This record gives sequence, C-alpha cells and structure tokens, in this order.
Amino acid sequence: MIEIYKRFWQVNWAEQWQYRANLLMYLAYWLVSPIVYLAVWTAIANAQGNINGLTANDFAAYYLTLLPVDIITSSITIHVLAYKIQEGTISNELMQPVHPILTNTLMNNIAFKALTLIAFVPIWVVLVLLFRPTLTIAPLNLLLAIPALAAGFLIRFFIDSLITLVAFWTTRVWAIWQFNEALSMLLNGAFVPLVLMPAWAQLLAQVLPYQLGLSFPVLLILNRLPAEALALNFGLQIAWLAALYAAFAFLWRRALRQFSAVGA
Amino acid sequence: MHPFRLVAALIKINVQQELAYRADTLVNMLVSLMWLGWELAGLAIIFSNATNLAGWTFGDLLALSGMWRLLNTFMQAIVYPNTEKFNRGIREGTLDYTLLQPANSQFMVSFSRIAIWNLWNLGLALATIVTGLLISESRPSPLNAVVFVALTASGGLVIYSLWIVLIALTFWFTKFDNNVTLLSALADTGRFPATVYPIWLRVIVTFVIPIAVATTVPLQALRGDLPWWQIALALAVGLAASFLSSQLWKAGVRRYSGASA
Repeated sequence: MIEIYKRFWQVNWAEQWQYRANLLMYLAYWLVSPIVYLAVWTAIANAQGNINGLTANDFAAYYLTLLPVDIITSSITIHVLAYKIQEGTISNELMQPVHPILTNTLMNNIAFKALTLIAFVPIWVVLVLLFRPTLTIAPLNLLLAIPALAAGFLIRFFIDSLITLVAFWTTRVWAIWQFNEALSMLLNGAFVPLVLMPAWAQLLAQVLPYQLGLSFPVLLILNRLPAEALALNFGLQIAWLAALYAAFAFLWRRALRQFSAVGA
Repeated sequence: MHPFRLVAALIKINVQQELAYRADTLVNMLVSLMWLGWELAGLAIIFSNATNLAGWTFGDLLALSGMWRLLNTFMQAIVYPNTEKFNRGIREGTLDYTLLQPANSQFMVSFSRIAIWNLWNLGLALATIVTGLLISESRPSPLNAVVFVALTASGGLVIYSLWIVLIALTFWFTKFDNNVTLLSALADTGRFPATVYPIWLRVIVTFVIPIAVATTVPLQALRGDLPWWQIALALAVGLAASFLSSQLWKAGVRRYSGASA
C-alpha cells in the first residue's frame, strides 16, 4: 500500500512541477483575502486602540499564522475531480484496483500544497518583515499543531470530496460548492477571528466542522486556547472525521452505482 | 456592418444561449443573491465591532460593495467568457475566424460573448450602490455626482484596457493562458476602501492592477474627498489607457500568425 502511495506521489509531484508557473499565479488567491481582512481589522484596531481586547499586533499574528495554515489544510479536490466526473474521464481511474479519491486525488492535493508552500515561504518572510508581528510560539504548541493540521486537512478534504461526489448526480455542483464556501469563510475564522462574532454565531461555528480546519489550528499555534478547549476541539476533530468518512464511503458506493447506470 | 446591427446581433445570440440553460440562469441568480447576503453579513460583523472603517460608515461601505459588484459583473459577464473563448482560439487556431470578420477585431474579441444573466447582477449592484448612498445620508453636490459617473466610466475603461493588454500579451507569450488570474485574484481588494491598505498594497491596487480606480476612487470623488487635479488625472489615465491598449492590440494582431496557418 505504501508503494502505491509513493507512486501516486511521484506522478502527482511531477505533474504539479510542470505547472509551477501557474502555481505562482494561484498563490495570489490565497494571499489576497487574508491580507485584505488583516488590513481592515488593523485599521479598526488602530483607530479604537483595540477590538474586544485584540490589538493590531494580535491581528497581524493571527493572519500571518492563518496564511500557511490555510494552505496546509485546504483541499482542491473539486477543482481536479469534478470535471473528470462530468466528462466521464474518471472511468480510467475507476478501472484501477485502488480508490481513486483516496489515492490519486489525495496525493494530488498533497503535492499541490507542498509545492505551493515552498513558493509561499519567501513571500511569508517578506510579509512578516512588512507587518512585524511579535510572535511567541512554544515548541509544544507546534508539536500539537501537527495532528491538528493533519486532521484539519482531512476534514476539509472529505467535505470537499462529498460535495464533488454530488457531480455524479447533477452538473450544478459548483453552486453547492459556492454555498459551502460562503458558509465556511464566515464560520472558519477566515473573515474574522471567531471571538469577534456574536455569541450565537460562535456557538454555530463551534458545532460545525469548518473552524476545525482553520481557526482551531491557528489559535493552537498562537497558544490562545485553554487546555479544555484544546481537548474539546481535538475530540471534535476525531468525531467529525469519523462522521465525514462514513458519509463519504456511503455516498461513494451510491455514486458508483449511479455512474454505471448512466452507461458511461 | 452597421455598429448597432452588430451589437443587436450579438445580444440576440447571447440571449438565445442563455435561454437554452434556464435552470442554470436561475441557479446563478440565487448564488449571486447568496453572495450579496454574505457581504451584508460581513459588513454587519465589522460594524458590530466598530462605528466606522477609516472614516467610512456602513452606508459608505455598502455603496463600495455595490461598486465592487459592478466591477465583478463586468468580469463575469464579459471578461471571463471572452477570455476563455480567446484562449481557446489561440490554442486551436479558431481565432483566425474572428480576425477575418469584417468588424473591429478588438471589439469582436472582447464583446462577442456576453453572459446575459449578469443583468441581474447589474441590478443588484446598482440597487446596492443606491441603498448604500441613501443610508450614508451623503448629500453629494450635482457636480460631484457627475464626476462620480464619469470616474466610474473611466475606471471601467482602465480595467477594460488592462484586460486588453493582458490578452494581447498572449500574442507574444503563447502559453500565457492564465492571463486574467492576477486580475481576478486582486479583484477582492475592491470590497474595501483602498485607503485602509498598507502603502505597498495601495500602490499595487491603484497603479499596477488598478482595481481601486474603478471602486474606491469614484466614491471618494462623490464624497468630495478628491482634489480636482486627481480627478483630472484619473480621467486622463482612463483615456490614455484605452488608447495605449488598442495600439498594443493592433501590434499583437499584426504579429499573430495563427495556430492553423
């Protein structure tokens, strides 16, 4: 099995490497919104002194941590898979004796983010020099962040994959994806640190899985979470991962039946 | 062909295409309504934590988000569909047929596809701008209102010209098929006043990829924030940009040898 993943990694890395120039362009998509939101909240914090106790420096630390976390936990599954399902070219991958999403697509995601991260590091250094946040990061938090980031990525990967599977039934999968994106950007801490949301929205964000892939790892790295919140979020990550995987496995079996029924 | 008849023909074709996918049209309209709700939620969160953003009130920012939607409507209705067609034309050689048509090639390349459902987006954008201005209770002088409309048009011209430059560059760099990626990635900076951005980002969105020229700047003029020479400069830049981009386009077409030839 490890050999299989190794091969898929080699293929996908080579494929991504071919498009390295495009990758630099796509980096702009990751950079623009967090920098815009950072600028907005910094302007307000500077004008008022602070927002609910958060200073301009807190926002700089938050968004500069969020940038790499977002790249690490993001998923591009729908971008690489939806058109294959719609055009029927996924048939080739279905012939192979392995699960196409859990091997090829997964490795494609990882190769993409690995290459993106390499290109991102020098940009991140420049941004740190521009915004100069005072960051104190404890080694223990970085260590704890590894499983949190891995689980956060898998949660986003399975949500994305679930939506992509809808492409087996309808061509309007992108509309569903956009609704999910909108909800996720408000409730995962990308638009604003969740503490600045109204209480009911914070509760909603805590219950839904979106913050587990972004806000939680960021706050963990920044050491903003008390021990009980850490335990709660790690527990939620495991529970959501199990639930999403079960839903994914179920929908995948139905999708395959649906696909053969079309006669492709 | 008479220009008006050409435009009428293009509109007719695109309306027919839109009507062939009525359910998609409805879904697209719902999705853009959803994003409008998203923007309102975003503004509500900002103003539950602040009374203004660098001097801009809720109404001002709502009007700005309408300006951003106006720009976005132009991108979705014209820029994306025509860029896609253009890039395919370069790759497969079908651009030859466009160039051979007895009409202005820049016009045909930039306006032959129009995603008609964006009329809905245009309506939402105008409604958002008007609502924002009513809420902000700004009472602009008639002169400022005229300047606002002129600067919006000239800002649109600047963005249009930049787009023409980007796709014209494809004549020199054939593999430049993500020509509008940077433009669309930076478009999000138009949601907020450029004055809140750090100086380096403000320079980028004003001079390099001038999103702010079509979003922030006209509203600043409406509020009376701009001295007359900046207004004159912005209008001059709009005219200069459209002249230079059409020159570059002509040079590109002369250089083009065609994938099929």
